[in-house]
Amino acid sequence: MKTKVVLNFSPEAVNNPITHSLIVKYHLLVNILRAEIDEIGGKMVLELSGKAEDIRKGIDYLKSSGVGVRPIKEGVRRDDDACTHCGMCVSICPTKALVLDLKTGKVTFDEEKCVACGVCIDACPPRAMEILI
Amino acid sequence: MAGGDVVVMTAEEFKEHVRANGIRKAAKEVDVVTTGTFGAMCSSGAYFNFGHADPPIKMSKVWLDGIPAYAGLAAVDAYLGATELDESNNMLHGGAHVIEDLVRGKAVRLRATALGTDCYPRKDIDTYISLKTVNQAVLFNVRNCYQNYAVATNSSSRTLYTYMGKLLPELGNATFSSAGEVSPLLNDPYYRSIGIGTRIFLGGAQGFVVWEGTQFNPGVPRTPDGVPKRPAGSIAVIGDLKQMSPEWIKGLTFTRYGASLGVGIGVPIPILDEEMAKSCAVTNNQIVTAVFDYSQPTRSRNVLREVTYAELRSGEIEVKGKKVPTSSLSSLYKARQISQILKNQIVKGEFALDRPVQNFSLDRVFRPLDVRSEREAM
Repeated sequence: MKTKVVLNFSPEAVNNPITHSLIVKYHLLVNILRAEIDEIGGKMVLELSGKAEDIRKGIDYLKSSGVGVRPIKEGVRRDDDACTHCGMCVSICPTKALVLDLKTGKVTFDEEKCVACGVCIDACPPRAMEILI
Repeated sequence: MAGGDVVVMTAEEFKEHVRANGIRKAAKEVDVVTTGTFGAMCSSGAYFNFGHADPPIKMSKVWLDGIPAYAGLAAVDAYLGATELDESNNMLHGGAHVIEDLVRGKAVRLRATALGTDCYPRKDIDTYISLKTVNQAVLFNVRNCYQNYAVATNSSSRTLYTYMGKLLPELGNATFSSAGEVSPLLNDPYYRSIGIGTRIFLGGAQGFVVWEGTQFNPGVPRTPDGVPKRPAGSIAVIGDLKQMSPEWIKGLTFTRYGASLGVGIGVPIPILDEEMAKSCAVTNNQIVTAVFDYSQPTRSRNVLREVTYAELRSGEIEVKGKKVPTSSLSSLYKARQISQILKNQIVKGEFALDRPVQNFSLDRVFRPLDVRSEREAM
């Protein structure tokens, strides 16, 4: 299974090689979607893939290491009333979650493919894209 | 032509019809082809007459929801430009958004100041207006509906934020803004049916072409069929804002560039003869434009390559040996909707076609602005 989580670190936890542990000890595939670290700690958005049991154990491990963990329900959301289907977003979306369907002329948004990187947010002229973390 | 039994096709339907039946037959069978485009059209704006206050005021500075409007037109008229910005909010909100709010039926705050005269003693006013309260609200765009436009890319090492959208570094993407084969002026390359007085679909209402668009530049290189390979013609358009709809008039934000107005325009093209049919049969693989590197800070950028709209629409073009994903800035979806609406209106007799009162001059040239002396300018 796959799940996306938001991690919040205290400055102490920043020094802990947690992704290494998730990979080696819990046999998870870890895809880092976003990572920001500054003097007051850090935030990371991960996509974890593996057995359900391993994911659960991995998340327990993160919590025991002082890392705040919460699941992402929705990453990027599109306001369908605001979207004009121009297609500005399609060439900057790194995972091709946004694609122009020439048959319908509409931009389709595949939320499964979206990794919540957010590059589409400030590129959208009618401001139809919003990121919820 | 006033409705009844006219045969009308959208531009896409007509091209398909020509493919199946040939030009000659199509020219005989079809009376009108409808074209459409919906995209960011920066050189847009609206003028208003607010009515007179008591005591009256000759407004010299005017703000609509904080966006400055030009009021040097005597007492209570002002022109709000789409790209005018409220500079205090990071270029996110501009005249275009105020125009959309008005079209949505919202009330907008009007503030004005004046010097005060014997005939107009009042020195300031702070009130609200809407499309219901003003006398005139007229969309008047000096340059819309460009006949072809450049493709923008970026070879530099940082992201560029431009009026052509977000351009990723190292040729990370390329953006284009023409609707290609469905765009009005690309179906009438020599402006035979589109001229002064042409009735058009404008922002959901019926409007008119009032003049050539500014920067009108018909002398650019053309394909053997006469289709311009660079930005060429454009149109100045006018229409009643009170009759427009937010579906076709939309405030847009280009990050770190500012505001622009999304405008929907549709133009019917009467198939006068075989030549006109041939013009309207043009397809994306026959329409060429040039790719420019927007990291070059000059008005005369080098052409990186020429591409067709078929290539651009495929989602990827090759530039300097690299596969570059492409994005359109104009909505094919809305362009198609406009062509369809226009077709229905013509068929029902709700949209009359007129010949232009006067055609555009093909002799116009597009001059640059140089820093020159008074003598050199004369």
